[in-house]
Amino acid sequence: MTRDDLKDYIASHFGDKLTALDTGRYDPLYELKAEHLVEVARALRDDENLKFDFLCNIGAVDTTEHFEAVYNLASTTKRLRLDFKVIMSHDNPEIDSVIDIWPGANWHEREMWELFGINIRNHPNLTRFLLPDEWDQGFPMRKDWDAPDFIRMPEPET
Amino acid sequence: MSKLHTEEFVVNMGPHHPSTHGVCRLMLTMDGERVVKIEPVIGYLHRAIEKMCENRTYVQCIPLMDRFEYVTSMSADMVFSLATEHLAEVEVPERAQYLRVIMLELNRIASHLIFYGVTAMDIGALTPFLYGLREREKIIDLFEMTCGNRLTYNYIRPGGVSKDIPPEFVPQCREVIKLIRSKLIDYEGLLNENPIWLARNKGVGVMPPELGISYGVSGPVLRASGVEYDIRRDDPYCIYDRFDFDVAVRHNGDCYDRYLVRLDEIKQSCRIIEQALDGLPEGEFKVKKINPFTFKPPAGETYARIENSRGEMGCYLVSDGTNKPFRVKLRGGSFNQLQALPYFGTGGLIADVVAIFASIDVILPEVDR
Repeated sequence: MTRDDLKDYIASHFGDKLTALDTGRYDPLYELKAEHLVEVARALRDDENLKFDFLCNIGAVDTTEHFEAVYNLASTTKRLRLDFKVIMSHDNPEIDSVIDIWPGANWHEREMWELFGINIRNHPNLTRFLLPDEWDQGFPMRKDWDAPDFIRMPEPET
Repeated sequence: MSKLHTEEFVVNMGPHHPSTHGVCRLMLTMDGERVVKIEPVIGYLHRAIEKMCENRTYVQCIPLMDRFEYVTSMSADMVFSLATEHLAEVEVPERAQYLRVIMLELNRIASHLIFYGVTAMDIGALTPFLYGLREREKIIDLFEMTCGNRLTYNYIRPGGVSKDIPPEFVPQCREVIKLIRSKLIDYEGLLNENPIWLARNKGVGVMPPELGISYGVSGPVLRASGVEYDIRRDDPYCIYDRFDFDVAVRHNGDCYDRYLVRLDEIKQSCRIIEQALDGLPEGEFKVKKINPFTFKPPAGETYARIENSRGEMGCYLVSDGTNKPFRVKLRGGSFNQLQALPYFGTGGLIADVVAIFASIDVILPEVDR
């Protein structure tokens, strides 16, 4: 299946759930409503002609207006690649976990929770792992978090 | 006799344990001599590379990529350059494509030689370490000759490579390939039939293929479980579709097969390099139009992925049309390998955990970023 065949296939079988976006380069990119995430993810994995059994990566993006979670999928048998993104509100970002479908999503979702403050529903283990345990300075990957390249050490008190 | 009452207890391994290849801590729950649960604790090397990239121009990000994966930093440069080229739709010159393939494959061999030495050393054999690093040195010399650096190359850049190779590179590279081919016989002779090596590795840490795929395990670790999946062949990037090579696959999924797959891959990499050296065209080695300061890819997003020596390495890149990336998300193969470790690494002794951890060839900067 070529990229164009894949686009046609998605349009005919998942056209009501996955909306094609024109910002994706190279591989096709779709948008998915948050309430359909688990259902469509399972259908993509189990579809006979797609078999997206391999979750490469989950990347979260803070666009300052809303949060996005981007799922990069691949198929180990059908030589296919596909991305889809789920858009969340900026005030209360929440998303369902896809651990039941791809167990490898576990740490990627934990990272999303830790660095972006996106709440993952039904995640078994939302604990810190990249930041220090006593971290209390908010969510560092958000755009409104100030990231100085160099932090001046405090002057020693005399 | 009634069963004796036993109690589970936790043994802490790391973060400064020599066989954790960096700073990783494994919390092992033990039932007597048996490991019943492994809990990896990571984050000791978190340097916020993804956040730092948002504050730099695209070309300035490349040195950071070297630190993201320092054992095969050519691959890390490559994946970021590839994502940038997807966004900007840059056509890379032929010569640069060939140079990239040569460097990536040389780097893959160097990485597998480190694996060969370090894994054996973890298990208690010191000689392979000396052998593996001796030949790796010759490859590093080639890199030093080309770009001046021995570990963090900063060589593959968006739009091509940073420098052309010197005239003496091609003959010396052929010599190195010949040398590695001949030394592989030594490597195999040292370990393949070694009874201690077999006892420590055969049947240890068997990973079923379904478990590997569902946890996102990739690269040699997945191929050792019989899954024939190689991004170089299945989703070709660069010019890998022009070369003739086999995907190394083994079927038992234990530590020993993971070791054999890597040795097979060294042979295939040698084949690819020879074909690339034969076909190396004359011409430009980078596109002229990319200025490091004013280079602005049009707004868009992409996920680029390549086959690294530790599995799939990916870069999800978002551009908002300025000269700095809006968001960079890096995916290293080790991240998913380490995540899957608790599900196939238990059931043995602590010494087996060392062997399994070495066989999945995790490096921690790639996990923590």
